[in-house]
Amino acid sequence: MDEHSKMIAVMRLLQFTDSTFPVGTFSFSNGLETAAFENIVTDAASLEAFAASQSRQAAFSDGVAALLTHRAFLGADYDTCRHMDRFLIMFKMNAEARLMIQRMGKKLAELAVRLFDSDMIAHWLDEIKSGDTPGTYPVAQGMVFAAAGIHEKELFCSHQYGIINMVLSAALRCVRVSHYDTQLILERLSSEIPALYQEASRMKPEDMNAFFPQLDILASLHEKGNMRMFMN
Amino acid sequence: MIEQKREKTLAPEVDFSSAREMARFLTEPEAMYVGAPGKHGYLRLGFELDKDGKSILRDLDRRHPLIVQQELYFDEEMPEMPCVYILSSGGPNVDGDRYRQDITVKKDAFAFVSTGAATKLAEMKYNYSGLVQNIVLEDNAYLEFMPEPVIPCRHTRFISDTRLRVAESATAFYSEIFMPGRKYYKDGELFQYDILSVCSHCERLDGRQLFREKFVIDPAICNPRELGVMGNFDVFSNVIVVTPKDKSDEIYARTEAFIDRAKGIAAGITRLPNDAGLLYKVLGMEPGPVKKLVRAFCSTVREVVKGHPVPEEFPWR
Repeated sequence: MDEHSKMIAVMRLLQFTDSTFPVGTFSFSNGLETAAFENIVTDAASLEAFAASQSRQAAFSDGVAALLTHRAFLGADYDTCRHMDRFLIMFKMNAEARLMIQRMGKKLAELAVRLFDSDMIAHWLDEIKSGDTPGTYPVAQGMVFAAAGIHEKELFCSHQYGIINMVLSAALRCVRVSHYDTQLILERLSSEIPALYQEASRMKPEDMNAFFPQLDILASLHEKGNMRMFMN
Repeated sequence: MIEQKREKTLAPEVDFSSAREMARFLTEPEAMYVGAPGKHGYLRLGFELDKDGKSILRDLDRRHPLIVQQELYFDEEMPEMPCVYILSSGGPNVDGDRYRQDITVKKDAFAFVSTGAATKLAEMKYNYSGLVQNIVLEDNAYLEFMPEPVIPCRHTRFISDTRLRVAESATAFYSEIFMPGRKYYKDGELFQYDILSVCSHCERLDGRQLFREKFVIDPAICNPRELGVMGNFDVFSNVIVVTPKDKSDEIYARTEAFIDRAKGIAAGITRLPNDAGLLYKVLGMEPGPVKKLVRAFCSTVREVVKGHPVPEEFPWR
């Protein structure tokens, strides 16, 4: 890739990773609201542990799906992109998490057809609208980043940044932490990303795994509860 | 006299060597080789209605160390329910053990399956212990699979793959309880195992895939004590209920999600993908309260699907 294309790819990476990119990341707290209410996340240290678990959980499920879709898109292999979409929904045990990645996935696909001239993304959006495919956000990210000429490592970073930042932004509204705390947490969790990428980039769909029962129970409480500042 | 089919088959191959997380554990044990007689258990259970409409264990085949003798009808709330305990004559699962369990519940039949005692996974040095399960439920069939806890000792390696094939009208209750180790052995043996890899996936009888859950617990890579993983809890239970949508809606409404910090127990419930049913998770400090909660949840499932509760557990269990 020449310098000109590289700079454009960086600009696009910043655009898609920005928290104001209109896919609705701001409306979800990933269970943090419940964790705060239950006094499980109460300060910067517990927030960091919570965000670290969210980051690791996403890396070996959504992150793997995003990487495999990115590679399939570059190989013009639409069937694999579609397979990853269905596979990921089957793997998402939490009902709210399924709703979240489908809402965001569709929004990103709707934006992407305006930004890029890609038959594959246009066809995928048609299939989302007709209900033939779930339209998950990580799969949308894989396709869109590939279409934008962004490398898979940057895709993975952007994906993980999105998860961590979603939790930290929500924390400013429901946990007693400052901007300094959240920026320090983000800085520390970023250093884990290369190791997570090493592992996730070698995984096949059937290797995807997640063991975060405490997060699952918090999500369930949020799903069943009445106390809500964020969307369900 | 109930007639039972006793067709002998070869114990099928149980091989996880392609599983990425087990690649470190493929050395042949120096003791008995992988899959040697006595280290390769096989069990085939087939429940069906007999000509009088009674649900019976019609098909039974087994290879040691797995033992099933016959079905018993000891459930006081459902005396028509055949109940089977799976036993193992070999003590704990040891290095290089392979197991396969196939359970079929035919149209309209029903059954309860458990184990006689906790499944102990011994310390391993070379290889791993693997379990493949195939559970098939035909139209309107009903199965409660509620084994005793799994106790993974220090340096054990265990992998399981459970394939559930469930008809639209059938109900499968499938529970698992995992201890952190031998909690009161020496100074406490918590999360000192090498790896637990557990995968459960479900499809319709026509092959339509519904969901897939896989968890890999490798304490050396991710500390189970982290907030979000096990936190301060020691015991974990995972319960899958595959059931029609109207039934799962009612069970969901009747089941509480809660965190009780004073008692050290928490439970959560969510809906499985593709309207397949429900997923219930429990975290606790000791197996007793966790088992009690899983049993209470099973009772809700049974009430909604079969119109009867689950009786009190035997005092010696």
